[in-house]
Amino acid sequence: MSKGLNRFAILVACATFFLIIAGALVTSNDAGLATPDWPLSNGSFLPPMVGNMFYEHGHRMIATTVGLLTIGLAIYIRVKETRMWIWRLGLFALMAVIAQGLLGALTVKMMLPLGVSAAHATLAQLFFCTTVGIAVFTSKSWIEARTLPEETGSSPLRHMCTFALAMIFIQLILGATLRHSAKWDQPLPVQMILAHIVGAAGVTIALGATALSVLRRHKGETFLTRPATIALVLLVVQLFLGVAAYLTRLGSPNDPQPLHPMVGITVAHVACGALVFATTIVLTLRTYRVLPASEAAMEMAARPQES
Amino acid sequence: MNKQTKVWLVLAIALSLLALGSACGSKESGTNESNSTSDAGAAPYSGPTGTIAGVISFEGTPPAPTKIDTSADAACGKANPNLSTDHTIVTDGKLANVFVYIKEGSVDGGKKVGDYAWSTPTTAVQLDQKGCHYSPHVLGVQTNQKISITNSDQTQHNIHPSPKNNPEWNQTQANGAPPIEKSFARAETLIPVKCNQHPWMKAYIGVMKTPFFDVSETNGAYEIKGVPPGKYTVVAWREGGADGQTKQMEVTVPANGSGKADFAFGSTTTSVNTSLKVMPALELPMLHR
Repeated sequence: MSKGLNRFAILVACATFFLIIAGALVTSNDAGLATPDWPLSNGSFLPPMVGNMFYEHGHRMIATTVGLLTIGLAIYIRVKETRMWIWRLGLFALMAVIAQGLLGALTVKMMLPLGVSAAHATLAQLFFCTTVGIAVFTSKSWIEARTLPEETGSSPLRHMCTFALAMIFIQLILGATLRHSAKWDQPLPVQMILAHIVGAAGVTIALGATALSVLRRHKGETFLTRPATIALVLLVVQLFLGVAAYLTRLGSPNDPQPLHPMVGITVAHVACGALVFATTIVLTLRTYRVLPASEAAMEMAARPQES
Repeated sequence: MNKQTKVWLVLAIALSLLALGSACGSKESGTNESNSTSDAGAAPYSGPTGTIAGVISFEGTPPAPTKIDTSADAACGKANPNLSTDHTIVTDGKLANVFVYIKEGSVDGGKKVGDYAWSTPTTAVQLDQKGCHYSPHVLGVQTNQKISITNSDQTQHNIHPSPKNNPEWNQTQANGAPPIEKSFARAETLIPVKCNQHPWMKAYIGVMKTPFFDVSETNGAYEIKGVPPGKYTVVAWREGGADGQTKQMEVTVPANGSGKADFAFGSTTTSVNTSLKVMPALELPMLHR
């Protein structure tokens, strides 16, 4: 285990989180087409950072930094890490960040088509999830974790976590599509709002039940209870932010420009959503690490392949 | 390299090629498709003409202008320290920046107004960016007529129309850069234009196949000249809501005379000629999206 590698992975994950905030600022300020060209901004590497160029070019600069950090991370893993599957994860992260940059280019060149913009926002979350995963896998607590006794609950926590994670990811896609389906000066489509509200209810039930089950079944095991508690707190904050974002966004078509309350709250909602996703990933990975699989699953794994 | 890695590599390369193709394939999509001044086979109109004139009123209390925060670009604040919203400019109850146009109608004799060929003016319509504000706020052009876009500011702008019926384009114009000339090949009412660098900057361009349109002045008056005698559906459009607000009425234009059509926004449409009735909202083929 390399402490340096783990710290570097955490740095990349933090930089990615910062990049998600920068990207959310671009969307909320309607800055995505502040420059029509790519990779240069108005024909320059360092254009005047005025108006919305601050957000758009700032996002590109942070993205470039994250790209370079990801290359560094892949090399660091290759040099220090003995587990080949982590090297493959590093390569996946590298390819994801390249694809993300190219999706960013496409979204500018194609004038922000909904599908490409939503895919860009969704891949950002997947890439963030990958960097968080690498940070988890290279941590001391992961390597030194001991297996806990079998679960006493009716539903295996592994499955509950995976289900909650899937629900959150679907909700992130819905949120990304909702955000990119209308500019700040246009009303949001009602169908997308309803879908996002239904998604929020699903996430609340799935993640709430999962986190509470972890707290009830594994009291005292901070390896599991800490991310469960954080996820629960973030979920509550996220629900409040969602309501506030909706209320501020309702009035924005009548505003002369994107105003600070709407921008700040919607960006906070995106950022908190990313944190809920990341925390649930940590919780899910840790349950897979320390909790034994269900008996049926273990039997299936032990059974020789019939084909 | 295992199989999974190879698959991802191929996907990344494919995406790269798509992005490159998109970047290389971008072209000046807003330029003319054709410089023809008339429809093939259609004859130009020759005969007596009249006018359609009127005044646009605003009923009720107009919304107060909202001051715009230009702190993101110091050049804007310096050039226009009191910049405020201009979507509802009302002077003595009269409304400016309303785009009035003939939507459809028949010339005396039975021919549709769209059946004639209407020549495209050779003079360009000016659209200036001054004080981080579009001037004029609403303008009209004929299809394929040039729009000359200038930047009088000490900062850069980007001009980004979002048409539904014409190709979308987005172009940066630095301070001191030469005018950008563009046109739209298809009729469309109205195309929103914005600057993505300064999101409060908005303008609207009405693109018509005929020359029968005008924009109301600050005294609310407008005049559509050179209209062949006949019966027409006249539409008044003002910004607001997702696609703007419209009022329409039928107007009769006598030979060498004037048909009057006053509109009122804020409550109900006012028709001076009470014998006029609202025609069904049928689009002319020439205006069809």
